[in-house]
Amino acid sequence: MPKLAGKLAKIALPVLALGGLYLLAIHKHEQREDIRNASVELTPGCTAKLSRYGLVPGKEYESPYVLQRTGTHIALRGYSDEDVRAIQRGCNIVDDTQGRLAQDPDLERWNAKRFIRGSHANCHHCHRDLGDKQDAAGNRMKGTLHLGASWVMADMYDRFTGLLLPYELRQMQCYINASNGYKPNIADDVIRDVTAYTRFLSAALDMRIGNHYEEQGIDEIAASATLKQGDDYIRGEALFKQKCQHCHGRQAIGQEVNGHLVAPALAGPNAWNMQSRNNFYFVSTVLAGFICRNMPPGQENTLSNQECRDIGYYISNLPRPAGDRQGPLVALQQQLLMTVMPPLLRLTESSKTPGQPPLENGE
Amino acid sequence: MDAARSQHRLSRHAGIARVPTLAALAVIIGFLLWAHLASGIPVFRSQVPSEPGWEKFRTEYGIDYFGDDGQFVRAVQNGYNLFFHTHKYASRFTRKSAGDRVNSCGACHTAEDLAYSFVNSDRFEPRLGKRLSFEDQVRWCYAASVDGFVPTVYDPAVRDIRLLARAVAHHLQLSEGALRNGD
Repeated sequence: MPKLAGKLAKIALPVLALGGLYLLAIHKHEQREDIRNASVELTPGCTAKLSRYGLVPGKEYESPYVLQRTGTHIALRGYSDEDVRAIQRGCNIVDDTQGRLAQDPDLERWNAKRFIRGSHANCHHCHRDLGDKQDAAGNRMKGTLHLGASWVMADMYDRFTGLLLPYELRQMQCYINASNGYKPNIADDVIRDVTAYTRFLSAALDMRIGNHYEEQGIDEIAASATLKQGDDYIRGEALFKQKCQHCHGRQAIGQEVNGHLVAPALAGPNAWNMQSRNNFYFVSTVLAGFICRNMPPGQENTLSNQECRDIGYYISNLPRPAGDRQGPLVALQQQLLMTVMPPLLRLTESSKTPGQPPLENGE
Repeated sequence: MDAARSQHRLSRHAGIARVPTLAALAVIIGFLLWAHLASGIPVFRSQVPSEPGWEKFRTEYGIDYFGDDGQFVRAVQNGYNLFFHTHKYASRFTRKSAGDRVNSCGACHTAEDLAYSFVNSDRFEPRLGKRLSFEDQVRWCYAASVDGFVPTVYDPAVRDIRLLARAVAHHLQLSEGALRNGD
């Protein structure tokens, strides 16, 4: 009898465990379905952006932006309620990847922050103005990593990876490197909703498949586009103090005030990792191009090419997390630097300038 | 005199020792040239086999906009082969053979159908109650229309058809959600 009970237990335990997993999977599926069907609370930025582009459910879609700028009526396939909600969720993810504005951060935004290690990274930090940066007159701006323009040129050969890079894989790279995080599944809603939003942007702006628009990607700045003085750490540091420190903090580790992120980290544990294209030592032309075309906010295109390269060079010399390819020793070294350097710098800075208040955490 | 003789002998030895190295080098170079130019084995060549009609298609749809022989163009060409000769290039995913009436994607669709489908993809499909991506549709065709098996999303048998659709959509200058006349 005890033998039989033992045998039954041996069978019952795995069956119960598998059944439990099955029920959990069903619960998760239902939860996802509920989120897909729930109305979406838009962030203020997304409310403005999507209403400007006239996103409403309907049989046909006509972009107010295109009508206003070209005077032509272009009827496109309309969006169903489900499509509209996917676009709205995608916009929310781009605007508030960390879910700081969400009522339930664990559920809204598909909990995108689980794919990010730091607490600062947000899509729109690089993809300015929700991936659709325009000047006051509504002109799209060069080298602003426009998401709609990126969609129409997706699937092309990527010289950094040597792959034909689908849009979904590109998003995964953003999570892994720019956000120093983890890779979502290609079919995850977190990827698909952002794709839906970017496809909507390209429809709203009447972008044509396969055309290159100058707002796509970065307007890269190579050393050959300067007077060839060489990139300089000291010049970069001086410029950083003058132009960037006010928002990004003295040590470039970002600034938060009362839980509100003033400016994201450019170095330290919340920044992009060494395998990111933003890292000057990996690709020297990208960060400089981003700085020139997008920084400082409101004064874009005021820095010279050499100044942008100097700032990029300086920033990339600051400690940041190692990427996938650097290996454990470099990762350890970077972790040590990120731990040791901030207090050391605080100490030396305060001893150099006794009149000034010492640097505080987050500065 | 002895020193000169030993010097001569040494240099002769060095010359003899160099022969196998040179022979090995020649064999390697010969193999590389054969593999790349003459073997015809796909794994050694970056070119995609040119099927009848490709050059005409390439001209008609302006594939040269993307270059002559870049990775994207080769993928588009592979997409063309998959689309019009599915039984030959995706034999892993179809049960159809050359003799079957419907043995390729091109038997039911045109390349332009594909492009319009691409720009209208990833929308909610009420009949299925879920969002349907372009890849999902291609995989469905493999499973149902050509009576075969489902490739993964990453498989070139799916990816290259998407790239073919993209190239045609570019030629037609389609935007997202573009409607065909009469749609």
